[in-house]
Amino acid sequence: MDSDRRGQWLRGVLDLCVLALLRDGESYGYQLAQSLDAAGVGPIQGGTLYPVLLRLQRTGLVTARWREGDSGPARKYYQLTDDGRAALRHGGNAWLAFVAPVTSIVTKGVDG
Amino acid sequence: MNADDWLRAFAAELHQRRVGGDVARHVVAEAATHLREGGGDPWLVFGAPQAYAAAIVESIGTAPGPRPGPVRLHARGITKRYGRQVVLRDASLTVRAGQIAAVVGANGCGKSTFLRICAGLVSPDAGEVTVAGRLSYCPQQGGTADFLLPDEHFVLVGAGQGVPRVPARRAGRAAARQLGWDAGNAALARHLSGGTRQKLNLTMSTLTQPDVLLLDEPYQGFDQGSYVNLWDQLTRLRDEGRAIVVVTHLLNQLDRVDVVLDLPPAHQGGRS
Repeated sequence: MDSDRRGQWLRGVLDLCVLALLRDGESYGYQLAQSLDAAGVGPIQGGTLYPVLLRLQRTGLVTARWREGDSGPARKYYQLTDDGRAALRHGGNAWLAFVAPVTSIVTKGVDG
Repeated sequence: MNADDWLRAFAAELHQRRVGGDVARHVVAEAATHLREGGGDPWLVFGAPQAYAAAIVESIGTAPGPRPGPVRLHARGITKRYGRQVVLRDASLTVRAGQIAAVVGANGCGKSTFLRICAGLVSPDAGEVTVAGRLSYCPQQGGTADFLLPDEHFVLVGAGQGVPRVPARRAGRAAARQLGWDAGNAALARHLSGGTRQKLNLTMSTLTQPDVLLLDEPYQGFDQGSYVNLWDQLTRLRDEGRAIVVVTHLLNQLDRVDVVLDLPPAHQGGRS
């Protein structure tokens, strides 16, 4: 139940998280998954992450190009586009406006 | 199932769902990179190949093929007897530009005969075939010349169309590459394996820019990779607006075709 619920939340905001992580520079799938895990979101499986990246690419919010890494294999690096930046601003604010009251309600419930 | 097996299965699933070309290659390569860097069981990281392929399709959407165009091949009421044996009875097929038709049925049900009738190589006892445009036929066997190089085959096909040697050779090699075959370094046709000879055959049949392409089980002796390339190639030709008829006994590609003609076994022959 708990992991189900976490999965549902994640589906709603994973695209925003990815856009936010790309704000300061390009990254690739595996690195994004690690960043999300390190930030405490929990492990994100490739099967969840890459479809989101593809959708962002298709809708023009990110662009992608294959590049050899400094070491190791060629990776597909994603960059934020101007549209992506706008979507991040817009969607991010909407998310913040949504979670603030939810947090406030739930906090009262949990503390009470 | 190790990571490579999983990736192969995933690629096949994408293929089945008509995700082809660069898109499929990139998605598979990205999954491979991820697995190499992170390790882990692909079944846990990505899930079942089938489910992950479905998720990918949902994310990118597959491009719908162009609408089928005018009728290119119309075979109506085709009946053929050999002696007392009725091989074909009242078989009909209509294929439009931008469609792939599969002719299926048990061994000996007259698939190849039907195709040869469509090609005009055999006369039917009853019925009529109408073809609009240029027709090309790729037989199941033969069609290559033992003592010629693949390049020389391409030059020969070019000569028939008034195409000079160099561009004809270039076009042939390019068409062969679409099947994952490097024809420029190949040996005399008689030294080629059966599968490679079929690739040569198939390459030649696409070189004349046919409006109607008839293929009789064109993958005899193909390995799995070539088989996948073949269907990529057929899909590409279809999307260019060719009308394709392919005789096959393999049913796993039927979700990629637009029309199916299922011939009944010869000895039943249908009602008289």
